[in-house]
Amino acid sequence: MNKKSLLYIFLMVAALILSSCGPAATSTPAATQPSAATQPPAATEAPVVPKVLKIANTATFTTWDPVKSFSTEAAYMGNMYEQLLRINPPGSAEKFTPLLAERWESNADGTVWTFYLRPNVKFHDGEPLTAEAVKMSIEAAQDHGGASFIWWMVDSIEVVDDLTVKFNLSTSAPIDLIASSLYGAWIVSPKALEAAAADPNYFEAGLEAGTGPYMLESYKADQEIVFTRFDDYWGGWQSGQFDKVLVVIVGEAVTQQQMLEGGEVDLVTRMPVENYATFKDNPDYNYYEEPTFFNYVGFFNTLRPPLDNPAVRQALSYAIPYQDIITVGVNGLGTQSRGPVPQGVWPWSDQVNQYTYDLEMARTLLAAAGYPDGGFSLKLTYASENDVEAAFAPLIKDSFAQIGVDVTIEPMLWSQQWALSKSDPANAQDMFLLLYWPTYSDAGSDNLWSMFYYTKKPFFNLSYWNDPTFNALVDEAIAKTVTDPATSQAKYIEAMNLLVDQAPGLFFMDVTYTYVIPKYIEGFEYNLNYPFTQYFFYQLSTTR
Amino acid sequence: MTAIPALSVEPELQSTRTFRHVLSVIVRDPLSLASTIVIVLFILIAIFAYQVAPYPAEGAGRTNVANTMLAPSAEHILGADRLGRDMLSRVIMGARPALIVPIGVVIFAVLIGAPLGAIAGYKGGWVDEVIMRITDLFLAFPSLLLAMAITSALGRGLQNAAIALIISWWPWYTRLVRGVTISLRERYFVEAAQAIGVRDSVIILRHILPNTISPILVQATVDLGTVILAMGGLAFLGLGTQPPAPDWGLMVSEGRNYILHQWWISTFSGLAIFIVVLAFNLLGDTLRDIFDPRQYR
Amino acid sequence: MLSKLEFVLRRLLSSIFVLIGVSIITFFLSRVVPTNAAALYIGPKARPEDIERVSKQLGLDQSLPVQYAIYMRDLLHGDLGTSIGTKRPVLTEIIDRAPASLELLFTGMFLAALIGVPLGVLSARWQGKPLDVAARTISIFGVSMPAFYLGLLLQILFFRNLHWLPLAGRVSTDLRFTNPIEPITNFLILDALLTRNWVALKDAVIHIVLPALTLAAYPIGLIARMTRAAMLEVLEQDYIRTARAYGIKDVIITYLYALKNAISPTLTVIGLTVAFALTGTFFVEIIFNWPGLGLFTVRSLLNVDYPAIMGMTLFGATAYVIINLIVDLLQAWIDPRISLK
Repeated sequence: MNKKSLLYIFLMVAALILSSCGPAATSTPAATQPSAATQPPAATEAPVVPKVLKIANTATFTTWDPVKSFSTEAAYMGNMYEQLLRINPPGSAEKFTPLLAERWESNADGTVWTFYLRPNVKFHDGEPLTAEAVKMSIEAAQDHGGASFIWWMVDSIEVVDDLTVKFNLSTSAPIDLIASSLYGAWIVSPKALEAAAADPNYFEAGLEAGTGPYMLESYKADQEIVFTRFDDYWGGWQSGQFDKVLVVIVGEAVTQQQMLEGGEVDLVTRMPVENYATFKDNPDYNYYEEPTFFNYVGFFNTLRPPLDNPAVRQALSYAIPYQDIITVGVNGLGTQSRGPVPQGVWPWSDQVNQYTYDLEMARTLLAAAGYPDGGFSLKLTYASENDVEAAFAPLIKDSFAQIGVDVTIEPMLWSQQWALSKSDPANAQDMFLLLYWPTYSDAGSDNLWSMFYYTKKPFFNLSYWNDPTFNALVDEAIAKTVTDPATSQAKYIEAMNLLVDQAPGLFFMDVTYTYVIPKYIEGFEYNLNYPFTQYFFYQLSTTR
Repeated sequence: MTAIPALSVEPELQSTRTFRHVLSVIVRDPLSLASTIVIVLFILIAIFAYQVAPYPAEGAGRTNVANTMLAPSAEHILGADRLGRDMLSRVIMGARPALIVPIGVVIFAVLIGAPLGAIAGYKGGWVDEVIMRITDLFLAFPSLLLAMAITSALGRGLQNAAIALIISWWPWYTRLVRGVTISLRERYFVEAAQAIGVRDSVIILRHILPNTISPILVQATVDLGTVILAMGGLAFLGLGTQPPAPDWGLMVSEGRNYILHQWWISTFSGLAIFIVVLAFNLLGDTLRDIFDPRQYR
Repeated sequence: MLSKLEFVLRRLLSSIFVLIGVSIITFFLSRVVPTNAAALYIGPKARPEDIERVSKQLGLDQSLPVQYAIYMRDLLHGDLGTSIGTKRPVLTEIIDRAPASLELLFTGMFLAALIGVPLGVLSARWQGKPLDVAARTISIFGVSMPAFYLGLLLQILFFRNLHWLPLAGRVSTDLRFTNPIEPITNFLILDALLTRNWVALKDAVIHIVLPALTLAAYPIGLIARMTRAAMLEVLEQDYIRTARAYGIKDVIITYLYALKNAISPTLTVIGLTVAFALTGTFFVEIIFNWPGLGLFTVRSLLNVDYPAIMGMTLFGATAYVIINLIVDLLQAWIDPRISLK
C-alpha cells in the first residue's frame, strides 16, 4: 500500500482510540499518598522518641471492610476495632473482658440480651459510641457480613437509650459469646457505615473507623502497614506501651526468622516449623507452645460406594498414621484430635473416642465389609496453598496402599477444591482435607453443626452425611447451651461419639502454635480464642 | 551455511556427512565432549531412573518419616528431605520432568513451528501474511510470561506447563525456518525443480526442510537450555509439577525454608539444573561455531 | 526521510494490531480459568448464596463476547479492572509497584552493561588469552544459571556466611523511623540522593546489590558474548588492519573504531535481554521479597486473580512491544543499511 493510505489508516485508528476516551469514569485513588480518613480528634503531643513495635506478618488484607471481614486481616482488625466484649483465654478467672460494653445480662431463657455500653468512648473519626452505632454495626453484619450467619437468631435490635442495646432473639443463644467473635462483631462508626452503604468499596482504599487503641497511619498494599496510637482511647495509656506499630508483610517463613534473629523485627508470626526448637533454650527469648483451635479434618464422600459403608470408613480410620502426620506435618506441634472439636473449646471432652493406627484392624474390618484386599481407589484433594496438608497427604496415600487402597492425590487451589466439592457431590472428591477453625468459641454450633449437620446445600458438610440421630442431638444441644449447659454438654458428647463411630470424617490433629517473644517485650498473653490476632498491640510494652 | 546441494544429490547423504563432521569437532574439543557426555548421561539416568536410583519408591514420592531431614550420610549420599525421602533418588527421578519433558517440548515446538515456517516462506502471499501475523502475536509476549499465563489458565501441573511451553516456543521456529526458506527459495535448484514440475510439497520436504536442519539444531540446542530453565522456573513458582512428584525446580522451592540448616534439599536440585543447562549451552556454542559462526542469535 | 517515516508508521500500526491481538489472547486465557473467581473474592468460608451474589456483582454471568467488550471499553478508559486479591484497581497496583521493579531493572541492566560490555571488549581484544577464557566462563555460567537458584546461593553466601549484605527487602525496617526517605519519585536511591539522605542511600544501595546482581547474571552473560562476537568480527575488517598499519595506538583502535561499529548488534542484544529481565524479576522479587510487579504477578498467578493476571500480562506484553519498537527504531536510525522493508 502506498504511503498516503498508510498515513490515513494510522490517523483513523488513532482517532478511533482517542474518541473512545472520555473523562475517566472512575478516578483512580492517589497511588502513593497514604489515605487515612480518620484523624485523631485532638492534636497529639508527639512523643520524644516514638516507641515502635515491629512485626513481620504473613497476613494481608483481603478486605478493609470490618463488616465483610472474614479472613486473615483479623490480625489487624482486632487492634483497630473492638467488639462489645472479648472472651478470655480458657482457665481465666473471668470468662469475658468487657470492652465496649461494661456489663450485660440476659433473661432466664436466653432470648433477650441487654448490653450496657461504656460511656465517653469515641471512634477514631470523632463520632461517639452510642447504642445506635452498635445497632447499625450488627445489622450491617447480619445483612452482608462475611460472618453474617452468626447472628441468624437475632430478630431485632432495640436502642433502649443512648448507652443501652437490647437483642431480641428468635431462640435461645449465647449472645455474649457471639458478640465476642473475631468476625462480624466489630463496632463501626455510623458515619463510616453510611458511607459504605453508599459506596461498597468505601473502605478498600485503606480506611478504618473503629474505637480500638491503634489507628491506621499508612498502608502500602502487600508491603507494610503502620499503626499509630489513638490518644483518646478509653483505656488510657501507660509508659512502655508502643506509640507506633510497623507491620511488614513477609510471606516467607525463613525470611521472618532471619528478620527476628537479625533484630529487624521484634515479633514474627510464622517461622519454619523445624526451626522453632532452636529458640527453646535461647536466653534472649521466651518460648511458648500453646494449643489453638485450628484442627485438621478429613471428609469421606459418604455418597459414593464403598465409602457409603460405615464399616469401610471405620477401617480406613484405623489406617491413618496419626502420629506420623503430626511429626511430619507440624513437626510434632499437635495432638491427635478427639472428634472435630478442638481441645480447649466448648464442647470438647476427653470422653470422646479416637482411633489408633492399627493396620491389622483395618484389614480385618475391610475384609468383613467385603473388601478383603482393599481393591478400590480414592481421589483425595487438598489446598495447594497449605504446606502442612501437602506434607501429610502422601503419608495417607502410602498407608492406605498397604491395605490395598489406592489413593490419588490432587492438590488444587483452595477455591477450586471448595468449588469442586459443592458442584456435584456424588462425583466430587472421595476425600477432602481441611484446615478448620470456628468463627467464635463455640465449636458445637460451629464445627459440629457446620461440618456434619445435614443441610440441603452443604455448607461445610463435605462428607454430605445425613444422620437424623446426630442432627437431633446437635439441635437439642444448641438449644440448651444457655439454659442448661450440663445437658447440652452431655448431648454433645453423645453426638461426637456417634460421629467418631460412624466416621463420615477423619479427625487428624489439633494444632499447637509456638510463640517466640524476645525478653524485652512484656505483656504478651496468648488467647486461643483469637487465632488470627496473634498480637494485641495494646497489651505489649517494651523494657528497652 | 552448509553447501547447497545440487539437484541430484540426496539431502540425506549431505546430512550424514555433516553429522560425522560435527562429531569429529566435538570429540576434539574437551568442553563439547564433556557437555555431550553429561547430557547423554543425564538422559540415560532419567530413562533408567527406576534402575539407577537407590530408593526409587522414595524418589517417586513415597514417604519415610523416620528419615526426616537427614543430613548427607553413607546410606543417603545427598541427605533426605522433610518427608524423609532420599534426595539422590529424588534428583534422579526429578530428571524426567526437568529434562526429558523439556526435550519433548522442544521437539513438539519444532514439529509444529518448522513446517508452518516452511509453508509461510515458500508460499508467500496471504498464507505467509496470516502465519506471520499469528507468529508475531505470540512472539509479542515474553515467552516465559506467556507460558505462566497459560499454565495459570489451564490449571497447574506438569502436563499443562508442558503444553504452555510448547505454545510459547513454537513461533521461534516458524520465524527461523521461514527466514531460511525465503533465502533458499531464490536458489536455482528450487526454480529448476519448479520448472520441471515437481510438486510443492515434495520440494518443501526434500529440498527445503533438510537444509533447515542445521539452523534448527543449533537453535534447539540453545533453546533446550532456556526451556529447561523455564520449566524449572514454572515448577519453582508452583505452576508446574505438583507435589509429591519429584522435579528439580519444585525441589528448590520445597527446600527454600530450610536453606539455613538443611541446605541439601535445595542445593542439589538447583545444581542439576545448572549443570544440564550449562552442558546444552556449551554444546550449542560449538554447533553454532560449526554451522554459522556469524550468526549471533 | 519519507521512507523512514513510512517505516515508523508501519511499525507503529503493526504494534497496535499486535496489542489488540494480545488483549484478545489475554482475555481468552483469563476466562478459560477453571476456578470460581467469586469464591476467591470472598474468602475461605464463603457460602453458596454469597458466591452467587458476588458472581453477579463481578459480571461473570454474562456471555464471553459481552465480557470482552466491557473489558475493552474499560481498558480504553484506563480501567484495568479490580484485583480480586487486594480489592483495589489493577492500575493502582501497577503504578504503586512499578517504581520498585523499575529501579531493580535499571540497576540490573546498568550493572549488566557495565560489566558485560567491557568483559566482551576485553575478551575480544585478548582473544585466546586467560582473560578471554575467564570472561567466557563467566558469561556462560551467567547464561546457564537459574535465577532463583543464584539468588538463594547469593543469600547463603553474602548474608548467612559472610554477613556482608542484607537478606531481603528494599530498605531495613528501622529506616522509616530513623531516616525516612521522602517519596518524590519512589525510586528510593534517587530520592535518597535528591534529599541528601546519606544513611538511607547507603541502606538502599546495599539492599539492591544482591537482587540486581541476580537479575544481571543472565544479561551479563549474553551481552559479554555478543559484544565479544561483534567485536571479533569488526576487528577483522580491513580498515582496522589499515589503522594498525598506520600505527595508531592499539587502545584507540579497539575502543573507538571497533566499538562504534559493534554497537548495533549490541543494541539488539540489550533489547533481547530486557525481555529476560522482565520475566527474571519474577524470581528475583520472590527470593528477595522485593515489593514490585514481579511479586504481585506471581501471587496473582498462584491465586488465579484473573483481573490482575490480565492486567500484568497486558502490561508486560505492551512493555515488551514498546521496547522492541524502540530498539528497532534505534537500529534504523543508527544504521541506515538495516532493512526498512
